[in-house]
Amino acid sequence: MTKRYVLVHDENKCIGCQACNVACRSENNVPESVTRIQVRIEGPHGNFPNLHFKYNRVSCEQCENAPCVKVCPTGAAYVADDGIVSINEKKCVGCLYCVAACPYKVRFINPDTKVPDKCDFCKKTRLARGESPACVSVCPTDALCFGDANDPQSEVSQLLDTKTNYQQKANLGTQPRVYRIPSRKGGIKA
Amino acid sequence: MNNIWGSMEQYDPVVWNWIIAVYLFMAGLSAGSMLVAIGLKWYKQSRGLPTEGLPVVKAAAVIAPVSICLGMALLVLDLTKPFEFYHILLNYNLTSVMAWGVIALLVYIPLVFVFAGLVFEEPIRRCVPALNGVLKVCRSLEGSLNKLIFALALCVGVYTGFLLSAMISYPILNTAVLPALFLASALSAGSAGNILVATLFFSKKESDCIEQVHRIEYPVAFNEALCLVLLFVGLNFSGPAAQAATSAITSGAWASVFWLGVVGLGLVVPLSASLFAPQSWKHSKGFLVTVSCSTILGVLALRHFVVYAGQSYIS
Ligand code: SF4
Ligand code: SF4
Repeated sequence: MTKRYVLVHDENKCIGCQACNVACRSENNVPESVTRIQVRIEGPHGNFPNLHFKYNRVSCEQCENAPCVKVCPTGAAYVADDGIVSINEKKCVGCLYCVAACPYKVRFINPDTKVPDKCDFCKKTRLARGESPACVSVCPTDALCFGDANDPQSEVSQLLDTKTNYQQKANLGTQPRVYRIPSRKGGIKA
Repeated sequence: MNNIWGSMEQYDPVVWNWIIAVYLFMAGLSAGSMLVAIGLKWYKQSRGLPTEGLPVVKAAAVIAPVSICLGMALLVLDLTKPFEFYHILLNYNLTSVMAWGVIALLVYIPLVFVFAGLVFEEPIRRCVPALNGVLKVCRSLEGSLNKLIFALALCVGVYTGFLLSAMISYPILNTAVLPALFLASALSAGSAGNILVATLFFSKKESDCIEQVHRIEYPVAFNEALCLVLLFVGLNFSGPAAQAATSAITSGAWASVFWLGVVGLGLVVPLSASLFAPQSWKHSKGFLVTVSCSTILGVLALRHFVVYAGQSYIS
């Protein structure tokens, strides 16, 4: 595995417009009742007049040490050659173990396929064509940055090397590949 | 309030529901009743006493296969793709506790039927003479089979605990105490179930060998209580998220299930019954039935409490 795809979400640039959510929906045919990605607008935090909102991206974190993969009895949840946590629909029996085990609660049962679904960085469509995931392309404020963190020249590497960033629930040892640049206001709550 | 980001329904942290709780109970009941019955057999054998036709063993021969099969049926029906459950028998990811559980059950389930076949050998021979040969072979292996079943029953009892404790983000579940707690409560459910079925259907004298089964109840109940204390005391020292999860036993609906069901029905009623009830009651049918039902309901409540409260608090 030479590539290490990561996603950086800059919480200063994000405005919570949900363009990413909508783009993902149309790119991946996500049924209406469920979502692969939400940007939750949480807050306001702080004291007047220094109020701010937190823009919390909720989507698969592409854990390097993925609990969903470890617990899957059949190997239907697996790490593909590209390092992306993927789902083999044929092997899945729908036991929901992975859905329960994901600490970020981002797996859901797709009502059409009856199989767990989640963000896969658009690997079968856009990534295969050498494009960025739909959410990254569509973001009006360039709050999202996607690329190979093993390449020191890549934009993501530069960002991660130069800006303060954090990962959610890092204490669980899942090693998420979604990095966040915290809002300049307030503290970091991983 | 409306979220502009859409429905939150799919983010409910409670993913496994009462069906899983009932399955965990059934698996524990089956494993516990096997452990108690085989343990009782060994106890009698070591004292040179006859082991044929013991009511408690007969009871286990009914309970163990029936409850594990009902449990498995529930489990399969609860899958989102019940008709493709066979994939779980073909593919094994050995980092998954569930895969290990499948392996254990795959051997355990046929063997409890063999156990039952040997207990009810006479009637089976009469009704299905074709099985004579098989029964004969099994009988000659009985000693080793019992050891194997005992070991597998231990695995089944314990794996249900590891199944839940492997989920790293639920503080109540992700503890090493859980498998021990599940095993202890499986033993209480198993012995209570055996006593219940034995008194109702197999016992001529009301007290035969039920006394011996009763004797394991104190240590088992003690272990169960100890595990519960360890679980919640441990949470208290494991960081803020785990500490917040201790409110599972102080507030909300699951707190009442815990205190009334798990502690009340499961521990206080059976223990005070055997401590304070007058000697004359102790072997009466009504008394035995009431106390064992109370224990069984307590264990059922424990499984529900662990499944629901366990998933409600996430770190
Ligand atoms: S975020 Fe959840 S679904 Fe995504 S890799 Fe991690 S555990 Fe699996
Ligand atoms: S639901 Fe499917 S992918 Fe998830 S753990 Fe079960 S078998 Fe694996």
